[in-house]
Amino acid sequence: MSATNETTVNETTTGGAAENAAATHETHQPEVASAAPAVPEHKGQVVIDVRDLRKTFGKTEVLKGIDCQVHAGEVISIIGPSGAGKSTFLRCLNGLDTPTSGSVIVNGYDIADPKTDIDKVRTQIGMVFQHFNLFPNMTVAENIMLAPTLIKKVPADQARARALELLRTVGLEEKIDANPDSLSGGQKQRVAIARSLAMDPDIMLFDEATSALDPEMVGDVLQVIRDLANKGMTMLLVTHEMAFAREVSTRVIFTDAGIIEEEGTPAQIFGNPQSPRLRSFLSKVL
Amino acid sequence: MHIEKFNAAVMQRATRWRRALGMMLALVLCVAGLGTVGVSSAQAAQVSEVQGKTFKVATDTTFAPFEFRDSSGQMVGIDMDLLHAIAKDQGFNVQIQSLGFNAALQAMSSGQADGVIAGMTITDERKAIYDFSDSYFQSGVQMAIAKNNDAIKGYEDLKGKTVVAKTGAEGEMFAKKNAAKYGYTVKSVDQSATMYEMVKSGNADAVVDDYPVLAYGIQQGNGLKTVTPKVPGGDYGFAVNKGQNADLLKAFNAGLANLKKSGEYDKILAKYLGEDSSVKPATADSTAKKSFIDLAKDAFPALMTGLKNTMLITAISFVIALVLGIVLGLVRVSPNKPLSWVARVYVAVFRGTPILVWAFFFYFGIPQIIGHSINIWVAGALTLSLNAGAYLVEIVRGAIESVNHGQMEGARSLGLSYNQAMRKVILPQAVKIGTPAIINQLVIMLKDSSLLLAIGFGELLYQAQQIYAANFRVTETLLMVGVIYFVAITLLTWLANIVDRRMNKR
Repeated sequence: MSATNETTVNETTTGGAAENAAATHETHQPEVASAAPAVPEHKGQVVIDVRDLRKTFGKTEVLKGIDCQVHAGEVISIIGPSGAGKSTFLRCLNGLDTPTSGSVIVNGYDIADPKTDIDKVRTQIGMVFQHFNLFPNMTVAENIMLAPTLIKKVPADQARARALELLRTVGLEEKIDANPDSLSGGQKQRVAIARSLAMDPDIMLFDEATSALDPEMVGDVLQVIRDLANKGMTMLLVTHEMAFAREVSTRVIFTDAGIIEEEGTPAQIFGNPQSPRLRSFLSKVL
Repeated sequence: MHIEKFNAAVMQRATRWRRALGMMLALVLCVAGLGTVGVSSAQAAQVSEVQGKTFKVATDTTFAPFEFRDSSGQMVGIDMDLLHAIAKDQGFNVQIQSLGFNAALQAMSSGQADGVIAGMTITDERKAIYDFSDSYFQSGVQMAIAKNNDAIKGYEDLKGKTVVAKTGAEGEMFAKKNAAKYGYTVKSVDQSATMYEMVKSGNADAVVDDYPVLAYGIQQGNGLKTVTPKVPGGDYGFAVNKGQNADLLKAFNAGLANLKKSGEYDKILAKYLGEDSSVKPATADSTAKKSFIDLAKDAFPALMTGLKNTMLITAISFVIALVLGIVLGLVRVSPNKPLSWVARVYVAVFRGTPILVWAFFFYFGIPQIIGHSINIWVAGALTLSLNAGAYLVEIVRGAIESVNHGQMEGARSLGLSYNQAMRKVILPQAVKIGTPAIINQLVIMLKDSSLLLAIGFGELLYQAQQIYAANFRVTETLLMVGVIYFVAITLLTWLANIVDRRMNKR
């Protein structure tokens, strides 16, 4: 009973966020209920607030003080050379990596605080990995239904109906009872995206989602991400697809050696890069 | 002067003693007189201390003709028949624990047994630790060599040779005492059958063993012969811990006296040694050698009992070990450092120590600490399960850690807790990875269960030992056991693989 309500509410939230995001670029929008500190901005409310984030692995400091605010509905591409700390930054946002110092506030939750119910926060943040991480011991449907049935106690038939719906949006409804091992890389990644969306997250993180794919598979996955962007999903993408970043992003962040070297609109970053390092980077990848 | 005074005192005391003795004698005669009228009532009064009680008596596994198993798996022999006859005469019950000579003494010291009857020679050293009954058998030792050995005609021919003897037995004492004189070296082993095999196979040149054992073995066709006369030796006695079970000892002596009087004692001895086997050295293999088929037929019931016990203790121990392995394996990989450390110590301790040490510890050591005996099944299951559990912890840990790291991250990023992710995502995959290694551990455990023979657990190899200790057909019996183990393990592996395929959809 309550589970049904919850699902409905969440779907409404997603729809609301979409409308909200579509509007934010032109007008002020009345804030939807949120625990995030209100920042006077012409965009949507701040959903991710990162202050002086540092992360050290052993003796290596990978993140050397990142400051970044993300507003609802933003699509942010994070670009930069290998080892710049792009993935680590993303993983600090949902607590897969624990910040060494600084603060990371997501949807009002302090990620670095051990008292935070990190499992609950993660239900609100979807994450898609380079290597998909589908569960090979389950079918496609079971992969997608696992979290909703286990955490939100959604009845199995409803969860399956939702799984079918999500698979339709990623173009894989006929694979609902397939084993993950029988899918191609591109299909696996689209299932992984559907699996994340099944929890109706407010934010989606993509960690090099197309890097492990054969070139002919990349297009399908990018299309799914593009559709999400068009629906107004708040997204952060670590990517090497520069053309895609330029097309889909509202903002591009260039990181190098653990700091944000430069950020701006795609037009600014790709059309008029300022720092020598960004220019050098772009000359290599474009 | 002094001596005279002393003598006077002694005389005085002696007189007093004589008077007391006289009175006691009169009393005894009186009782005896009454006894002729009502024997049963007098006997009942005499043995009331042990009447109806059950005593655990530990014995050797393999000391024919004193104790061994007949073809039906029953413990028989001079010691067994005497003990049962005495028990019947005195109205108490005995529960025989067939453990091996050293293990029997350990069992009694640790309170697992009330007495030991194991063809044990009464010596001064032993008298310091145990209380002995009256002698029930006058033994001696004798040397034997391989039947086809014509080089050794006496002790003088043993120079530079190896003589094998039984650990802690009279033969060993004799062999060691004369080792320097004749220039041979002594090697000690635990069982008569082993000693005879060593001589036959040339690993030793001669054996010194208790003459009744040797005579019985030669008559059974063990391939040996004697060339020197018997050396008369010590007396065999029934032992209890010093200062304990005095009633049992008293009843044993009384029963023994009754058996000797009634002639039953002689009958029992003749049954195993022949009418005059104590005199002439035995030579010929008088009994015809049994065929392998007949041997297998005779051995079958006992071996099946052994197989059943082997399977049962393995099954019980495996279930415990599996629970232990999974729980501690999970603890081992958990982020909880102190708990993980506990699991690590457990693994290190049980992987770093031999199974036998634990078998002895649980069966003989723990009772001395907690003050009461431990059931042999409990001791056996503890030994096997704690040992295998340590390996299973590592198998479970390895299986969990070999599941791709991304699986945990994928599950956690969806909002699953650590435990949910473990249960739903990691463990199902780990089980699939770990099952072949777990099946392997099961097979190892089944084979390791044979080590429990050391504490007298009646598993398959133990039964085999009992059989060849009585018939001296070591090779054939071990061949049978090998085949049984092989078939059992092959079937078990086959069954386990079917379960694996079904469960893990391979």
